[in-house]
Amino acid sequence: MKKLLVAFMVMLALAPVFAGGSSESSGNADAETQIFFFHRWPNDPKNSMFNDLLAQYMEENPDVNIEMDCILNDQYKERIRMIVSTNDVPDVFSSWSGTFAEEMIASGNVLALNDIYEADPEWSGRLASASVAGFTFDGTIYGIPWSQDGKVFFYNKTIFEELGLEVPTTWTEFIAVLDALKAAGYEIPLAEGLVDQWAVLHYLGTINQRMIDEETLAKDYDPATGEFTDPLYVTALEKWQQLTTYMGDIASAIDHETARNTMFATGESPIMYLQFAEIPMLEQVIPEDFEYGFFNFPAFEEGKGDPNALTGAPEGFMISNKAENIDACVDFLKWLVSPERGYILSTVGGDMSCVDGALDGEGIYESQKEALAMIQNASYLAAWFDNACDPSVYVVYGQGGQAIATGDATPESVMAQVQAAAASLH
Amino acid sequence: MNTRKKNLGALLFCLPGLLILAVFVYFPLIENIIYSFQSFSLSSSSKTFVGLNNYKELFSDPVIWQSFKNNVLYAVVSVVMQVFFGLILAAILEDKVFRRSESFFQTVFFIPTLLSLTVVCLLFEFVYNPQMGLLNSFLEAIGLDSLTRIWLGNRDTAMLSIIAVSQWQSFGYVTMLFIVAIQKIPSDLYEAAIVDGAGKIRRFFTITCPMVKQMFFVTMVLTVSGAFTVFNEPYILTGGGPGTATMVLSLHMYQTGFVMNRMGYASTIAMLIFVITAVLSSVQFFSFGTGKEERE
Amino acid sequence: MKKDRIFSKSISGKLIFLMLILLSVIIIYPLLWILMSSFKDYMSIYQDVWGLPEVWHFENYVRAWTRGISQYFVNSVIVTIATLIGVLFIASMLAFGITQLKGRIGYVAFLLVMVCLLLSPQVCVLPLFILLRGLGLNRTYLAMILPYIAFRLPMSVMLIRSFFVSISKEMEEAAIIDGASLWQIFTKIYVPLSKPILSTVTIMTIYYAWNEFLFATILVDSSSLRTIPVGLMVFRDGLMTEWGVVMAGMVISCIPLIIVYLCMSRNFIRGLTAGAVKG
Repeated sequence: MKKLLVAFMVMLALAPVFAGGSSESSGNADAETQIFFFHRWPNDPKNSMFNDLLAQYMEENPDVNIEMDCILNDQYKERIRMIVSTNDVPDVFSSWSGTFAEEMIASGNVLALNDIYEADPEWSGRLASASVAGFTFDGTIYGIPWSQDGKVFFYNKTIFEELGLEVPTTWTEFIAVLDALKAAGYEIPLAEGLVDQWAVLHYLGTINQRMIDEETLAKDYDPATGEFTDPLYVTALEKWQQLTTYMGDIASAIDHETARNTMFATGESPIMYLQFAEIPMLEQVIPEDFEYGFFNFPAFEEGKGDPNALTGAPEGFMISNKAENIDACVDFLKWLVSPERGYILSTVGGDMSCVDGALDGEGIYESQKEALAMIQNASYLAAWFDNACDPSVYVVYGQGGQAIATGDATPESVMAQVQAAAASLH
Repeated sequence: MNTRKKNLGALLFCLPGLLILAVFVYFPLIENIIYSFQSFSLSSSSKTFVGLNNYKELFSDPVIWQSFKNNVLYAVVSVVMQVFFGLILAAILEDKVFRRSESFFQTVFFIPTLLSLTVVCLLFEFVYNPQMGLLNSFLEAIGLDSLTRIWLGNRDTAMLSIIAVSQWQSFGYVTMLFIVAIQKIPSDLYEAAIVDGAGKIRRFFTITCPMVKQMFFVTMVLTVSGAFTVFNEPYILTGGGPGTATMVLSLHMYQTGFVMNRMGYASTIAMLIFVITAVLSSVQFFSFGTGKEERE
Repeated sequence: MKKDRIFSKSISGKLIFLMLILLSVIIIYPLLWILMSSFKDYMSIYQDVWGLPEVWHFENYVRAWTRGISQYFVNSVIVTIATLIGVLFIASMLAFGITQLKGRIGYVAFLLVMVCLLLSPQVCVLPLFILLRGLGLNRTYLAMILPYIAFRLPMSVMLIRSFFVSISKEMEEAAIIDGASLWQIFTKIYVPLSKPILSTVTIMTIYYAWNEFLFATILVDSSSLRTIPVGLMVFRDGLMTEWGVVMAGMVISCIPLIIVYLCMSRNFIRGLTAGAVKG
């Protein structure tokens, strides 16, 4: 028992060490300048990429110590929402653009960056303007974009050529293509893994954006005024229902990644709705002669939304105006959001950098360059569904979307639930 | 001797433990009761008192009803598969015929208990996988192609498939509990019955069953309250989907609290779980008196 | 259906034996499959479900270890050991205190502990999350250790107390006459005599802390503090997963408990069944 007692005392004595043990970087622990950096990529390859980048930065700047922490997506959203308005706000943190950014800015703790952009035009001139726009509100810039993305239909060029199919631009054409593929023996022309609710939400977000006019959508996505009574919402879900009939029964039991790697990459399914950020992962699993192209989500004939918009808001970093060493934070971010590090993001991390010049050179896929052009040609970048509206709404949407796919719910019944969820928010 | 002084000393021994229980069990419980009458999110600094609104919502929330049905199904299957089947299995293993192989089977059946639920759930992702899953491949291999299913992606099979995971993991544990109980039955009871000419089945019903009555009860409560607090299996395997087909109370609580950020209503769901499990455990607690030392 | 013959006649005995074997296969086969697949790469898992690995990718284990499992493993060890020490120390003291308390107060203290048995952790998890955040512990190991100790106490106290009660009072009375303090009685008489029950509690606690999932998922905010059960989920998440590496991680995570089990299976079974048997 004495030994136990001693051990227990040791543990108590060590408890503060455990408590402080959460720092990931040990680089310059006692440096004068401390930066707390919080982001949402705890998974590899990005986690290792950040570790390497930070180590490199701290070696170059021995007077700076960056403490990094990261948690995954949903948890990140919840946690950053919680702490952004408190004194615990991280010095540098990642944020989506659009509605999510606005929420962050509403805390009053986000630093306005116009001066910094203006002071260094050589650096800021390299940032894609559409991406900067996602962080600009009433002329004030609140963020530094670092990656851009877009969700489009990837298609198997070889199969399309064999069957003489054209890239569809309208919904009718799209359905005709899917039918033609089915008739040609492709049982599941459209691959998807619906186990991932976000995969359902990516579809529903774009369908809503294409279908509903912008003003109504903005009103309904706002928790304070959301009603979702426009009959076109039901029509939107009917389009979804129609699409799911091309995904096969299997879709409801596999995840997105499995669908991509075992159905789209193998040529079993000729079309899949993918993010540009998935290009490197796709490239790793496809055979050498596999050729793919992409097309934007087709326009609905009855749709009132902008058919040239592209779903996929840029992401970037924000600096807290409570940070002790704002200059050091700015310096670090300028270093991070640069052609050199942008190149690393695009090759190692897989995302496409917002920095001009980052997507040049070896290791950048041709398709990434095409993707870049497509992002630049989009009329605007629409936010991801799960950033655009309240979780109480999109969770119901996600569950309903799955249930529609398995034939257990109708568009009407799902919309009734969405309306109830939206109503409970005011 | 000075009883009061001795009691004071003894109380000092109790202090650390009672303190921990007070802070990390009693305090959260009371907080949870208070939260269940409030409405707030994790980021909001103030909590609004909403009276019984959360409780009203509890009764009109279709997902609660769906979850509750799933929990009940979980409980029923677990009782049949673990308690009844476990008892029979224990009796078989304890039979003299299997004495030689008993320890082997015991060891094997007990292995799943050792694995963490995460490992078991990830394992069953592969078992149920619609493309290369072990279950479908096996069915095809033995010519039962017509039985292959998309196990987790179909409303009709998803919940039962998840329940099966728990059975796979836990039946060995419950069997072990029955074995422990059977081993404590005095062997002269059986010998006397043999002299009377009672067969094995009769001995099972007239001796084994009555003698393990308490263990039977204990395992019932264990599996039923386990079924009403199940979280990991649906959380890992389906996230409650497709739709809400595999939603259970704990998972609904988690999603309401941490995804939808409605902590007040999530606490109300927690209260529902509390009432169900507390009633179940108190039945056990008060009928068999935990404090009695009937053994050793 | 079940007639007496089933057991006595050899054919039916064999039939049951066959069923037992079948049951064993259902349990063992998936486990062997995991072990086998942990040496494969992604594509060969998908393309050849049943076969042995063509190339043995031992590096899956190295990768699993270096890409996070090592950190999770260390975290699990720290949390498990700290929980264990806390439970043994606090539970045995509490159990001793309860047996020494005379009069109604002892009964009340015992009841206060036992009532906690009625409570499932799910009920407390939301307030615990808010509490730990308020205490600033949500990014420390203590966010797991303290709730683990609290929720293991009732069962442990119950077991230890019932053992303490059965210890003969003679030595204790002799010690009191010699003027021994309560602390001395506790450390010199009770604890040394209680090794069997303490080892039972040890196994229960290790088992619990090593595998716990709910609290570890919800209560801890920092990615660097994840324990193995939660860390394995990180491997699975995201867009990119390497199944061979995930399975190697699964195998690694099972090793400690399987070793403990193989070394002391009798104690292990007693440890895991004690709670239910007593309760």
